[in-house]
Formats: sequence, structure tokens, C-alpha cells
Amino acid sequence: MGTTGTKPVSKSETEDVKDPAYLKIRDLIYEISGIYQPEEKLYLLASRCSRRMAVVNAKTPAEYLSHLTTRANREAELRLLLNEITIGETYMFRSPPQLEALRTVILPQLITSKNAMGFKRLRIWSAGCSTGEEPYTLAMFLLEESATLLSGWTFDILATDLNDNSLSAAKAGIYGEYALRSTSELLRKKYFKPYDEKRLQVSDKLKSIIRFDRVNLSDDSKMIFLKGLDLIFCCNVLIYFDLNSKRKVMQHFHSNLLSGGYFFLGPAESLYQVDDRFRLVHFPGAIGYWKAPPNYSGSEKS
Amino acid sequence: MKTLDQIRPSITTLDAIPAIPAIVQPLASILQLPVEQVNVEQVVQLVSYDSSIAAQCLRMANSPLFGRRKTETVRSAILTLGLKRVQAILLGCCLNRIVPADKWAFNATTFWRHSLGCALISRKLATLIGYAEPEKAYLSGLLHDLGMLVNTLACTDEYRKCFVAARDERVSVESAELKELGFTHCQSGKILAEHWKFSADVVAVIEFHHHVAETPSDPALVALIHLSDLLCRLRDLGYGYYEAMAVDLARDEAWLSLSKYCPQLATLDLARLTLDIDGAMGEIIALVDAVFRPDSSASI
Repeated sequence: MGTTGTKPVSKSETEDVKDPAYLKIRDLIYEISGIYQPEEKLYLLASRCSRRMAVVNAKTPAEYLSHLTTRANREAELRLLLNEITIGETYMFRSPPQLEALRTVILPQLITSKNAMGFKRLRIWSAGCSTGEEPYTLAMFLLEESATLLSGWTFDILATDLNDNSLSAAKAGIYGEYALRSTSELLRKKYFKPYDEKRLQVSDKLKSIIRFDRVNLSDDSKMIFLKGLDLIFCCNVLIYFDLNSKRKVMQHFHSNLLSGGYFFLGPAESLYQVDDRFRLVHFPGAIGYWKAPPNYSGSEKS
Repeated sequence: MKTLDQIRPSITTLDAIPAIPAIVQPLASILQLPVEQVNVEQVVQLVSYDSSIAAQCLRMANSPLFGRRKTETVRSAILTLGLKRVQAILLGCCLNRIVPADKWAFNATTFWRHSLGCALISRKLATLIGYAEPEKAYLSGLLHDLGMLVNTLACTDEYRKCFVAARDERVSVESAELKELGFTHCQSGKILAEHWKFSADVVAVIEFHHHVAETPSDPALVALIHLSDLLCRLRDLGYGYYEAMAVDLARDEAWLSLSKYCPQLATLDLARLTLDIDGAMGEIIALVDAVFRPDSSASI
């Protein structure tokens, strides 16, 4: 997503970020999780690391790097750092460029190809839906488009997570200001009802197009039954998987998707060297992975 | 509707504006040199040549982006900013002067962000893939859309309509130009670039950056600028509106053409490259805004 301004950086932050250990931590995180922080944004990484450094009592970034590489509990520490890095990323309408790409390029493409086959139905999967912000965003987006672009179409959204607590929260659909900070007043009125003084609850209409389920992405027996999908969203989930597990999940995602379907990761995630079956496609401000039809050889797809 | 032949005379009289070619030409040749070969005295002289540009450099060197201590001379401002930034300021200011405030058919700041962004990304990409002349890539990136300045000057009202149509239909500027004007910034830019006696490779970039396969010379440079231009438009450094596009870069004809010269492209991590571009955006925006702030346009 494009930045539209620069964050004021204090002197102590800039001095600190120059420590070469941060670059090593950045590269380690990228290699293991696929989450990438460009050099100009290392101050963000540094601030996330500093919280963990305080907890494990590491005095310098280099010492903290050793917690992530050589200490016995390095895997657990890495997971905790990844949690710090991705914390606060979950709110509704978090990635407008992704929705814009859906509206202007992907849905028109899907509509054309599915119309030709006589199908007017879209199937979407939010894999690792956490507390529900992503599937509800997609549901609102599709309902809004059903007046125009998707007129006469039906759609269903599958939202899955491994964590039962997250799933319960997602099903309840009760959200405070943080989750709703990018949701317009219009959409709040249309798709939510008051819950208490500070929170809103999603309407039954919105819930009705989402099916929540507990799915472990590593569970082959369940994964092979999910078929016929047009779009899969899997944000900040694969970062916790090792390379082999990632490859296995990607293999499933590829066969879960219909030809011509798209797969989306979180905005800072990359699939580099994880999977080469998908085509990496750039949209303005967003990157998607496309399951190209078998005869595909072109470049610009619109 | 004016034809390209009708606007040709007005393009070739652009150099009647005082001081433009006098600075642009030596600058363009300096910009092609590797930093270590640039004569600092020559740059100090060029900056001092013009009091408003000198003031611009001083103001920028003293801005919070760079300044920790006060900079009072042109020489120390240049050392604070770095030669490359100074050159970008100089060239940008010169080109900016060609277009009077009421002749901009599109947002000038957005245009300079795109041009400077393309210059910086071209140089980065050049270094990344081992292209021999990254500074030439920088200059070509900065100048690739020269024709848009020509169009906005020569047919301001039609060009305004052109941008409105491009925004409404979410299409590229080039295709809106063809529809609204009948010619593109590539064709008009070539006329001015040749008239200003830019080197043949820069002229080729200006003319063929949207039609890489047709270039008669420097296919690698033209392909490089095409890709940087595309990456800018994909990462919020375009022309200020949403262009509906889906690009499989690795299958783009420019990418394939460049791969012949730079085999390392085949293994380049494209997703990481675009995230790096996002990271560099803060500096690009700060740089352009410092040079082309609306309140500064009156003085330059």
C-alpha cells in the first residue's frame, strides 16, 4: 500500500535502526515467514523488536538476534516476534487497493468467464479469518457490488480458522472502534446494529452469507474437499508455517481454486520461492497470485 | 483538435523561454556521469547561476529531512543534499519553469513525483540487475514523460479533458491521449528532446517507453524505463488516479527483452522489489514536495 507521508522519526530511533543486526533480523524474518520490511521502514521493525527485547532482557539488537537464531527457544521467540509484527493489522477495510483490484479487474474477469459457462455464483474463502474482520469486509463489499457489477449473482463466503476463540468472536461479530476505524458511517448504518455503548454487532443479513468453520490448513483430509473456489484470502497465516508446510498448503490452495481464480496474501507477505504454480500479478497497490488457465502465455491481463 | 504537425512549431519555440536550454543541456550531460566523476565546482556554479534555484537548495538542505545544523552556503547545501538530489532539483526546477502555473492540465506535484520516482526506481533496478549505466537510467527515468509537458503547454484544454477521460475510464494516459488528441506524449516528447539535442538513447526512451519492441536503439534501457514507469504506476506513484490494470511483470515484453541482457532477472524476487519501492516512497514524496511545494512554485 502506498504511503502518503513520512513518519517523524526521532534521533534515537534513527541511530538505533542503523544497527546492522536489524537488517539481519529483517532478512531472517523474510526467509522464514515471507514478511518483508523495506529498509526505510526498519524503524517499525526496531520498535516491534524493542518490546520483545525488553521481555527477554536483551541489551542490544545483536543480542536479540541471538535469541532468534542460536538460543534453544528461538522458534518460540520468532513466533512471539511475528505476533508483535502483525499485531493491530486486523480491522475492516484494511486494504482498499485489494478491493479496488477486485472491483475494477478481477470481478469483471470472473463475471465474463463464469457467465460464458452459465454460472452466476462466486465462492470465496477467508483462510485464517481470525476474529472475522476480513470475511465481513468481503461480505459488505460483495453486497455493495450486488447493486451493479454483481447484479443477479449469488455468493458465499467460507471463513475458517484453527483457533476456537477467534471463531467464536468472529461468529458473534461484535466490534469496537478499532476494528471499524476504516468503515464508513454509511456501511455502519447499513450492516451493523448497536450492541452496547461502544460496540456494534454485524447484521444477520451479513452473517447469512458467511459460513464459519474450524479448519486446520495442515489437515490434508479436510483441505482436499474444499473445491470450486474463485478467490482465496490468507493473510498473515502462512508466516507461521515452515517451508515444507507452506508448500503443501499452497498446493492445496492451487487445487481448491478454479482456473482463473486468485489468491491473496497479507500486504507485506511474499510467496517467493514457496510456490511457482501461481502467476504473480501486480495491481495498483496490491499483489495477487493468479491460477492461470492452462493455455495462458500473455502479460497484461486487462 | 490540433494535430502533431500543428503543435510542432510551438514545441520548437519552447527554448525561447530564457535560461532553459542553457541549464538543461549541461545538466543532462552531468547527470549521465557516475557521481565520483562529477565536478562539484561545476554543479555549485550551475546552482549559483540562478538565485531562486540556489534558494531552493538552501531551503531544502535546511529542511528537517536533512538538516541537523544550519546550512548557509550553496556549497554546503550541495554537500548536505548530495549531488544526485541537487541535480534532480536543478533539472526539475528548469523543466517546471517551462510550464506556467495556469497551463498545467494535471497536478504538477503528482507529475514530478512520478518522474522522480521513475528516475530513482530506474537507477535502483539498473543496479539490481547489473545494467552498466545506472546514472543514464536515472536521467532517462526523470525525462521519460517530457512529452506530457509539451502536451500540457501546446494544448492545455484538450489535455485537461484527456486526463479527465483517463481518470473516469481508469485507462492509461497514453490511450486517452490517442483518443482525445490523436497523438501521444511519446511522439511530442521526441520532437522536443531532439530539438534540445538530447542523446539518442534518451530520445529513444522518450519515444518508445510504451512500445519497447519498436525501439531502434538501446532496447535494454528502454525496457528498463518501461518497467520502472509501470512499477511507479502500480505503487501509488502514477498520475494521481486509479488505472485499472493487472500486470504479470515476468511475462511483460520489456521484462522478457531485458532478461536477454540480464539473466539474473529470472530469479529476481518481484514481490520484494515492489515492497522495497513502497519503502522508498516516503523519501521520493518528501523530496518532490520539498522542491515543488505549491508555495514555492511562484518563486521558481
